[in-house]
Amino acid sequence: MLGVALRIVRQRALAEDIVHDACVNIWSRATGYDAARGSARGWIYSVVRHLALNAVRNARRHVDIDEETTHTLEADMSVQAFHDAASSFELNTSLGRLQHCLEALEPARRNCVLHAYVEGCSHGEIAERLGAPLGTVKAWIRRSLTSLRECMA
Amino acid sequence: MSTPYPEDPRDDLQVLAGEYVLGTLPAAERLAVSQRLATEPALQHAVNDWEERLLPLTQLAEPVPLPAHLASRIEASLQGTRQQARAPAVPAATMRPRNASRGWWNHLGLWRALAGSGFAMAAVMAAVLVTRTAPVAAPPKFMVVLVAPQDKAPGWVVQASSTRQISLIPLGVAEVPADKALEFWTKADGWNGPVSLGLVKPGQPLQLALDKLPPLQPNQLFELTLEPPTGSPIGKPTGPIQFIGRAVQVL
Repeated sequence: MLGVALRIVRQRALAEDIVHDACVNIWSRATGYDAARGSARGWIYSVVRHLALNAVRNARRHVDIDEETTHTLEADMSVQAFHDAASSFELNTSLGRLQHCLEALEPARRNCVLHAYVEGCSHGEIAERLGAPLGTVKAWIRRSLTSLRECMA
Repeated sequence: MSTPYPEDPRDDLQVLAGEYVLGTLPAAERLAVSQRLATEPALQHAVNDWEERLLPLTQLAEPVPLPAHLASRIEASLQGTRQQARAPAVPAATMRPRNASRGWWNHLGLWRALAGSGFAMAAVMAAVLVTRTAPVAAPPKFMVVLVAPQDKAPGWVVQASSTRQISLIPLGVAEVPADKALEFWTKADGWNGPVSLGLVKPGQPLQLALDKLPPLQPNQLFELTLEPPTGSPIGKPTGPIQFIGRAVQVL
Protein backbone atom coordinates (compact mmCIF):
# COMPACT_ATOMS: atom_id res chain seq x y z
CA MET A 1 0.00 0.00 0.00
CA LEU A 2 2.80 2.39 0.92
CA GLY A 3 4.70 1.57 -2.26
CA VAL A 4 1.65 2.27 -4.41
CA ALA A 5 0.97 5.62 -2.69
CA LEU A 6 4.62 6.65 -2.77
CA ARG A 7 4.94 6.04 -6.50
CA ILE A 8 2.01 8.37 -7.14
CA VAL A 9 2.64 11.21 -4.69
CA ARG A 10 6.48 10.91 -4.68
CA GLN A 11 6.81 12.28 -1.15
CA ARG A 12 7.36 9.93 1.74
CA ALA A 13 5.51 11.95 4.41
CA LEU A 14 2.50 12.53 2.16
CA ALA A 15 2.43 8.83 1.16
CA GLU A 16 2.40 7.83 4.83
CA ASP A 17 -0.46 10.24 5.51
CA ILE A 18 -2.38 8.67 2.64
CA VAL A 19 -1.89 5.11 3.89
CA HIS A 20 -2.95 6.23 7.35
CA ASP A 21 -6.08 7.95 6.04
CA ALA A 22 -6.87 5.01 3.77
CA CYS A 23 -6.75 2.57 6.70
CA VAL A 24 -8.98 4.73 8.85
CA ASN A 25 -11.29 5.22 5.89
CA ILE A 26 -11.44 1.47 5.14
CA TRP A 27 -11.95 0.72 8.80
CA SER A 28 -14.82 3.12 9.21
CA ARG A 29 -16.53 2.06 6.00
CA ALA A 30 -15.87 -1.67 6.34
CA THR A 31 -19.47 -2.44 7.18
CA GLY A 32 -20.45 -0.82 3.89
CA TYR A 33 -18.13 -3.08 1.91
CA ASP A 34 -20.03 -5.37 -0.42
CA ALA A 35 -18.14 -8.45 -1.59
CA ALA A 36 -20.34 -8.61 -4.70
CA ARG A 37 -18.77 -5.37 -5.91
CA GLY A 38 -15.30 -6.85 -6.20
CA SER A 39 -12.43 -8.26 -4.21
CA ALA A 40 -11.48 -6.80 -0.84
CA ARG A 41 -7.98 -6.19 -2.15
CA GLY A 42 -9.28 -4.33 -5.15
CA TRP A 43 -11.34 -2.09 -2.94
CA ILE A 44 -8.44 -1.41 -0.57
CA TYR A 45 -6.10 -0.38 -3.36
CA SER A 46 -8.81 1.72 -4.94
CA VAL A 47 -9.14 3.69 -1.68
CA VAL A 48 -5.36 4.21 -1.49
CA ARG A 49 -5.08 5.25 -5.13
CA HIS A 50 -8.13 7.48 -4.92
CA LEU A 51 -6.68 9.45 -2.00
CA ALA A 52 -3.24 9.62 -3.63
CA LEU A 53 -4.68 10.80 -6.96
CA ASN A 54 -6.82 13.42 -5.26
CA ALA A 55 -3.71 14.71 -3.53
CA VAL A 56 -1.67 15.02 -6.72
CA ARG A 57 -4.50 16.31 -8.91
CA ASN A 58 -5.17 19.12 -6.49
CA ALA A 59 -1.49 19.96 -6.08
CA ARG A 60 -0.36 19.58 -9.69
CA ARG A 61 -3.14 21.50 -11.42
CA HIS A 62 -0.70 24.00 -12.89
CA VAL A 63 0.82 21.28 -15.09
CA ASP A 64 -2.33 20.97 -17.16
CA ILE A 65 -1.23 22.43 -20.45
CA ASP A 66 -3.54 24.68 -22.40
CA GLU A 67 -5.30 22.45 -24.86
CA GLU A 68 -5.41 25.01 -27.70
CA THR A 69 -1.67 25.53 -27.62
CA THR A 70 -0.88 21.87 -27.83
CA HIS A 71 -3.32 21.32 -30.66
CA THR A 72 -1.10 23.49 -32.77
CA LEU A 73 1.86 21.19 -32.27
CA GLU A 74 2.98 19.41 -35.36
CA ALA A 75 1.22 16.15 -36.11
CA ASP A 76 4.69 14.81 -36.92
CA MET A 77 5.55 15.02 -33.30
CA SER A 78 3.03 12.36 -32.32
CA VAL A 79 4.06 10.08 -35.16
CA GLN A 80 7.66 10.46 -34.04
CA ALA A 81 6.80 9.76 -30.40
CA PHE A 82 4.75 6.75 -31.36
CA HIS A 83 7.65 5.18 -33.23
CA ASP A 84 10.33 6.19 -30.74
CA ALA A 85 8.54 4.81 -27.76
CA ALA A 86 10.25 1.98 -25.99
CA SER A 87 8.54 0.28 -23.12
CA SER A 88 9.17 2.33 -19.97
CA PHE A 89 8.05 -0.39 -17.63
CA GLU A 90 9.23 -3.89 -16.98
CA LEU A 91 6.23 -6.18 -17.21
CA ASN A 92 8.05 -9.17 -15.84
CA THR A 93 5.91 -9.58 -12.76
CA SER A 94 2.98 -11.89 -13.09
CA LEU A 95 0.14 -9.69 -14.25
CA GLY A 96 -1.86 -12.59 -15.66
CA ARG A 97 -4.16 -11.82 -18.54
CA LEU A 98 -3.51 -8.11 -18.19
CA GLN A 99 0.14 -8.64 -19.12
CA HIS A 100 -0.81 -10.29 -22.39
CA CYS A 101 -3.29 -7.51 -23.18
CA LEU A 102 -0.80 -4.75 -22.35
CA GLU A 103 1.83 -6.36 -24.51
CA ALA A 104 -0.64 -6.38 -27.37
CA LEU A 105 -0.77 -2.56 -27.22
CA GLU A 106 1.78 -0.39 -29.07
CA PRO A 107 4.54 0.66 -26.63
CA ALA A 108 3.48 4.33 -26.72
CA ARG A 109 -0.12 3.50 -25.81
CA ARG A 110 0.96 1.02 -23.16
CA ASN A 111 3.24 3.65 -21.60
CA CYS A 112 0.30 6.08 -21.36
CA VAL A 113 -1.69 3.57 -19.34
CA LEU A 114 1.22 2.71 -17.07
CA HIS A 115 2.38 6.29 -16.46
CA ALA A 116 -1.21 7.10 -15.50
CA TYR A 117 -2.01 4.13 -13.30
CA VAL A 118 1.33 3.52 -11.61
CA GLU A 119 2.72 7.05 -11.43
CA GLY A 120 -0.50 9.04 -11.25
CA CYS A 121 0.44 11.19 -14.26
CA SER A 122 -2.13 13.55 -15.79
CA HIS A 123 -2.66 13.79 -19.56
CA GLY A 124 -0.30 16.79 -19.58
CA GLU A 125 2.45 15.01 -17.68
CA ILE A 126 2.24 11.98 -19.93
CA ALA A 127 2.43 14.24 -22.99
CA GLU A 128 5.57 15.82 -21.55
CA ARG A 129 7.19 12.49 -20.78
CA LEU A 130 6.46 10.95 -24.13
CA GLY A 131 7.06 14.11 -26.12
CA ALA A 132 3.66 13.79 -27.75
CA PRO A 133 0.85 16.36 -28.16
CA LEU A 134 -1.82 16.37 -25.47
CA GLY A 135 -4.65 15.54 -27.86
CA THR A 136 -2.74 12.54 -29.14
CA VAL A 137 -2.12 11.26 -25.62
CA LYS A 138 -5.81 11.57 -24.83
CA ALA A 139 -6.70 9.62 -27.97
CA TRP A 140 -4.10 6.94 -27.18
CA ILE A 141 -5.53 6.48 -23.71
CA ARG A 142 -9.11 6.19 -24.92
CA ARG A 143 -8.05 3.70 -27.57
CA SER A 144 -5.97 1.72 -25.07
CA LEU A 145 -8.86 1.49 -22.64
CA THR A 146 -11.17 0.18 -25.34
CA SER A 147 -8.60 -2.39 -26.51
CA LEU A 148 -7.83 -3.53 -22.97
CA ARG A 149 -11.49 -4.02 -22.18
CA GLU A 150 -12.04 -6.06 -25.32
CA CYS A 151 -8.90 -8.09 -24.75
CA MET A 152 -9.81 -8.92 -21.17
CA ALA A 153 -13.47 -9.73 -21.81
CA MET B 1 -22.02 0.80 -46.84
CA SER B 2 -20.17 3.87 -45.61
CA THR B 3 -22.45 4.46 -42.64
CA PRO B 4 -20.25 5.58 -39.77
CA TYR B 5 -20.15 3.19 -36.85
CA PRO B 6 -22.72 4.53 -34.36
CA GLU B 7 -21.22 5.74 -31.09
CA ASP B 8 -22.35 3.44 -28.34
CA PRO B 9 -23.03 5.48 -25.18
CA ARG B 10 -21.99 2.46 -23.12
CA ASP B 11 -18.50 2.73 -24.61
CA ASP B 12 -18.30 6.35 -23.46
CA LEU B 13 -19.31 5.29 -19.98
CA GLN B 14 -16.62 2.61 -20.05
CA VAL B 15 -13.94 5.02 -21.20
CA LEU B 16 -14.98 7.59 -18.59
CA ALA B 17 -14.86 4.93 -15.86
CA GLY B 18 -11.51 3.71 -17.19
CA GLU B 19 -10.03 7.21 -17.12
CA TYR B 20 -11.42 7.74 -13.65
CA VAL B 21 -9.67 4.59 -12.40
CA LEU B 22 -6.47 5.38 -14.33
CA GLY B 23 -6.56 8.79 -12.69
CA THR B 24 -6.16 10.90 -15.81
CA LEU B 25 -9.29 13.00 -15.37
CA PRO B 26 -8.65 16.63 -14.36
CA ALA B 27 -9.59 17.48 -10.76
CA ALA B 28 -13.02 18.94 -11.59
CA GLU B 29 -14.10 16.01 -13.79
CA ARG B 30 -12.73 13.57 -11.26
CA LEU B 31 -14.87 15.13 -8.54
CA ALA B 32 -17.91 15.11 -10.83
CA VAL B 33 -17.51 11.37 -11.50
CA SER B 34 -17.12 10.53 -7.79
CA GLN B 35 -20.33 12.41 -7.09
CA ARG B 36 -22.20 10.55 -9.82
CA LEU B 37 -21.13 7.12 -8.53
CA ALA B 38 -23.60 7.06 -5.66
CA THR B 39 -26.61 7.54 -7.92
CA GLU B 40 -25.51 5.80 -11.12
CA PRO B 41 -25.15 2.05 -10.65
CA ALA B 42 -24.01 1.52 -14.25
CA LEU B 43 -21.11 3.92 -13.76
CA GLN B 44 -20.26 2.41 -10.39
CA HIS B 45 -20.30 -1.02 -11.97
CA ALA B 46 -18.00 0.10 -14.79
CA VAL B 47 -15.60 1.66 -12.25
CA ASN B 48 -15.54 -1.55 -10.18
CA ASP B 49 -14.77 -3.57 -13.30
CA TRP B 50 -11.88 -1.27 -14.20
CA GLU B 51 -10.52 -1.45 -10.66
CA GLU B 52 -10.45 -5.24 -10.83
CA ARG B 53 -9.04 -5.25 -14.35
CA LEU B 54 -6.15 -2.92 -13.57
CA LEU B 55 -5.48 -4.13 -10.01
CA PRO B 56 -2.46 -6.28 -11.03
CA LEU B 57 -0.66 -3.05 -11.99
CA THR B 58 -0.30 -2.21 -8.30
CA GLN B 59 2.49 -4.82 -8.36
CA LEU B 60 4.57 -2.52 -10.57
CA ALA B 61 5.14 -0.19 -7.62
CA GLU B 62 8.01 -1.54 -5.52
CA PRO B 63 6.60 -2.76 -2.18
CA VAL B 64 7.63 -0.54 0.72
CA PRO B 65 7.45 -2.15 4.18
CA LEU B 66 5.26 -0.38 6.66
CA PRO B 67 7.49 1.51 9.11
CA ALA B 68 6.77 0.80 12.78
CA HIS B 69 5.92 4.44 13.52
CA LEU B 70 3.22 4.40 10.84
CA ALA B 71 1.79 1.11 12.13
CA SER B 72 1.56 2.63 15.63
CA ARG B 73 -0.03 5.79 14.29
CA ILE B 74 -2.70 3.83 12.40
CA GLU B 75 -3.26 1.61 15.42
CA ALA B 76 -3.74 4.70 17.62
CA SER B 77 -6.23 6.23 15.19
CA LEU B 78 -8.22 3.00 14.92
CA GLN B 79 -8.26 2.61 18.69
CA GLY B 80 -9.47 6.19 18.89
CA THR B 81 -12.37 5.67 16.52
CA ARG B 82 -13.32 2.47 18.32
CA GLN B 83 -13.33 4.04 21.75
CA GLN B 84 -15.30 6.97 20.45
CA ALA B 85 -17.87 4.67 18.93
CA ARG B 86 -18.21 2.45 21.95
CA ALA B 87 -17.83 4.28 25.24
CA PRO B 88 -16.94 7.94 25.01
CA ALA B 89 -17.25 8.45 28.78
CA VAL B 90 -14.78 5.74 29.81
CA PRO B 91 -11.25 7.07 30.42
CA ALA B 92 -8.71 5.43 28.13
CA ALA B 93 -6.67 4.08 31.05
CA THR B 94 -9.49 1.81 32.20
CA MET B 95 -9.96 0.25 28.77
CA ARG B 96 -8.59 -3.23 28.45
CA PRO B 97 -7.47 -3.58 24.87
CA ARG B 98 -6.58 -7.26 25.27
CA ASN B 99 -10.18 -7.97 26.06
CA ALA B 100 -11.34 -6.34 22.89
CA SER B 101 -13.32 -9.11 21.29
CA ARG B 102 -14.17 -7.03 18.24
CA GLY B 103 -10.87 -5.27 17.93
CA TRP B 104 -8.41 -8.09 17.47
CA TRP B 105 -7.52 -7.01 13.97
CA ASN B 106 -6.13 -3.70 15.10
CA HIS B 107 -3.95 -5.38 17.65
CA LEU B 108 -0.50 -3.89 17.27
CA GLY B 109 1.31 -7.23 17.67
CA LEU B 110 -0.58 -8.67 14.75
CA TRP B 111 0.13 -5.66 12.57
CA ARG B 112 3.81 -5.76 13.39
CA ALA B 113 3.94 -9.50 12.76
CA LEU B 114 2.50 -8.91 9.32
CA ALA B 115 4.36 -5.71 8.46
CA GLY B 116 7.17 -7.57 6.69
CA SER B 117 6.12 -6.91 3.11
CA GLY B 118 4.41 -4.22 1.16
CA PHE B 119 1.37 -6.40 0.82
CA ALA B 120 1.00 -7.09 4.53
CA MET B 121 -1.04 -4.02 5.21
CA ALA B 122 -3.47 -4.78 2.41
CA ALA B 123 -3.72 -8.34 3.76
CA VAL B 124 -4.72 -7.13 7.19
CA MET B 125 -7.21 -4.67 5.81
CA ALA B 126 -8.66 -7.35 3.53
CA ALA B 127 -9.07 -9.56 6.59
CA VAL B 128 -10.83 -6.70 8.37
CA LEU B 129 -13.35 -6.40 5.57
CA VAL B 130 -13.99 -10.09 5.25
CA THR B 131 -14.28 -10.84 8.94
CA ARG B 132 -16.38 -7.79 9.71
CA THR B 133 -18.86 -8.75 7.04
CA ALA B 134 -18.86 -12.42 8.12
CA PRO B 135 -19.42 -12.32 11.87
CA VAL B 136 -18.03 -15.15 13.97
CA ALA B 137 -19.46 -16.47 17.19
CA ALA B 138 -16.34 -16.14 19.29
CA PRO B 139 -13.29 -13.88 19.02
CA PRO B 140 -10.55 -15.60 17.00
CA LYS B 141 -7.51 -16.92 18.81
CA PHE B 142 -5.42 -17.53 15.73
CA MET B 143 -5.19 -15.91 12.38
CA VAL B 144 -3.33 -16.85 9.20
CA VAL B 145 -3.04 -14.80 6.05
CA LEU B 146 -2.32 -17.11 3.13
CA VAL B 147 -0.32 -15.34 0.44
CA ALA B 148 0.90 -16.32 -3.02
CA PRO B 149 4.57 -17.35 -2.71
CA GLN B 150 5.84 -15.21 -5.61
CA ASP B 151 4.23 -11.84 -5.11
CA LYS B 152 2.95 -12.18 -1.54
CA ALA B 153 -0.54 -11.22 -2.67
CA PRO B 154 -3.03 -12.36 -0.01
CA GLY B 155 -5.59 -14.86 -1.24
CA TRP B 156 -7.16 -16.42 1.84
CA VAL B 157 -7.50 -15.88 5.57
CA VAL B 158 -7.73 -18.66 8.14
CA GLN B 159 -9.19 -17.76 11.46
CA ALA B 160 -9.73 -19.95 14.46
CA SER B 161 -11.86 -19.08 17.44
CA SER B 162 -10.66 -22.23 19.18
CA THR B 163 -7.71 -24.55 18.62
CA ARG B 164 -10.17 -27.15 17.26
CA GLN B 165 -12.23 -25.22 14.75
CA ILE B 166 -11.01 -23.13 11.82
CA SER B 167 -12.59 -21.09 9.06
CA LEU B 168 -10.98 -20.60 5.68
CA ILE B 169 -12.17 -17.39 4.06
CA PRO B 170 -11.39 -16.41 0.44
CA LEU B 171 -10.28 -12.83 -0.28
CA GLY B 172 -10.90 -13.30 -3.99
CA VAL B 173 -11.48 -16.06 -6.48
CA ALA B 174 -8.23 -17.97 -7.06
CA GLU B 175 -7.66 -19.16 -10.61
CA VAL B 176 -7.35 -22.91 -10.83
CA PRO B 177 -6.83 -24.81 -14.12
CA ALA B 178 -9.87 -26.86 -15.14
CA ASP B 179 -8.12 -30.20 -14.60
CA LYS B 180 -6.74 -29.30 -11.15
CA ALA B 181 -8.08 -28.75 -7.64
CA LEU B 182 -6.88 -26.81 -4.63
CA GLU B 183 -5.95 -28.95 -1.65
CA PHE B 184 -5.59 -27.51 1.84
CA TRP B 185 -2.74 -28.67 4.09
CA THR B 186 -1.38 -27.96 7.52
CA LYS B 187 1.81 -28.79 9.35
CA ALA B 188 2.86 -27.78 12.86
CA ASP B 189 6.49 -27.65 14.00
CA GLY B 190 7.69 -31.16 14.76
CA TRP B 191 5.24 -32.98 12.49
CA ASN B 192 6.73 -35.30 9.88
CA GLY B 193 4.89 -33.73 6.98
CA PRO B 194 1.79 -31.81 6.01
CA VAL B 195 -1.63 -33.33 6.71
CA SER B 196 -4.46 -32.84 4.21
CA LEU B 197 -7.50 -30.86 5.29
CA GLY B 198 -9.31 -31.70 2.08
CA LEU B 199 -10.15 -29.98 -1.19
CA VAL B 200 -11.16 -26.34 -1.37
CA LYS B 201 -13.34 -24.61 -3.97
CA PRO B 202 -11.95 -21.26 -5.20
CA GLY B 203 -13.88 -18.33 -3.77
CA GLN B 204 -15.82 -20.48 -1.28
CA PRO B 205 -15.47 -20.22 2.49
CA LEU B 206 -14.98 -23.42 4.46
CA GLN B 207 -15.49 -24.44 8.09
CA LEU B 208 -13.34 -27.26 9.40
CA ALA B 209 -13.14 -29.17 12.67
CA LEU B 210 -9.59 -30.19 13.56
CA ASP B 211 -10.84 -33.01 15.81
CA LYS B 212 -8.41 -35.61 14.46
CA LEU B 213 -5.37 -33.38 14.78
CA PRO B 214 -3.42 -31.93 17.71
CA PRO B 215 -4.65 -28.47 18.81
CA LEU B 216 -3.60 -25.51 16.67
CA GLN B 217 -0.20 -24.07 17.55
CA PRO B 218 1.45 -20.72 16.96
CA ASN B 219 3.48 -20.69 13.75
CA GLN B 220 1.60 -23.71 12.38
CA LEU B 221 1.90 -23.80 8.60
CA PHE B 222 -1.11 -23.72 6.27
CA GLU B 223 -0.91 -24.02 2.51
CA LEU B 224 -2.99 -24.60 -0.60
CA THR B 225 -1.42 -26.61 -3.42
CA LEU B 226 -2.52 -27.53 -6.94
CA GLU B 227 -3.42 -31.21 -7.09
CA PRO B 228 -5.33 -33.62 -9.34
CA PRO B 229 -9.15 -33.12 -9.21
CA THR B 230 -9.59 -35.86 -6.60
CA GLY B 231 -6.71 -34.63 -4.45
CA SER B 232 -3.15 -35.77 -4.02
CA PRO B 233 -2.89 -39.53 -4.66
CA ILE B 234 -0.11 -40.01 -2.08
CA GLY B 235 -1.45 -38.03 0.87
CA LYS B 236 1.37 -35.46 0.58
CA PRO B 237 1.46 -32.30 -1.55
CA THR B 238 2.59 -33.05 -5.10
CA GLY B 239 1.81 -29.79 -6.94
CA PRO B 240 3.03 -26.20 -6.63
CA ILE B 241 2.11 -24.11 -3.59
CA GLN B 242 -0.53 -21.50 -4.48
CA PHE B 243 -0.96 -19.87 -1.08
CA ILE B 244 0.99 -20.23 2.15
CA GLY B 245 1.05 -18.69 5.63
CA ARG B 246 1.70 -19.35 9.31
CA ALA B 247 -0.62 -19.01 12.27
CA VAL B 248 -0.27 -15.86 14.38
CA GLN B 249 -1.67 -16.04 17.87
CA VAL B 250 -4.07 -13.20 18.64
CA LEU B 251 -3.51 -12.14 22.23
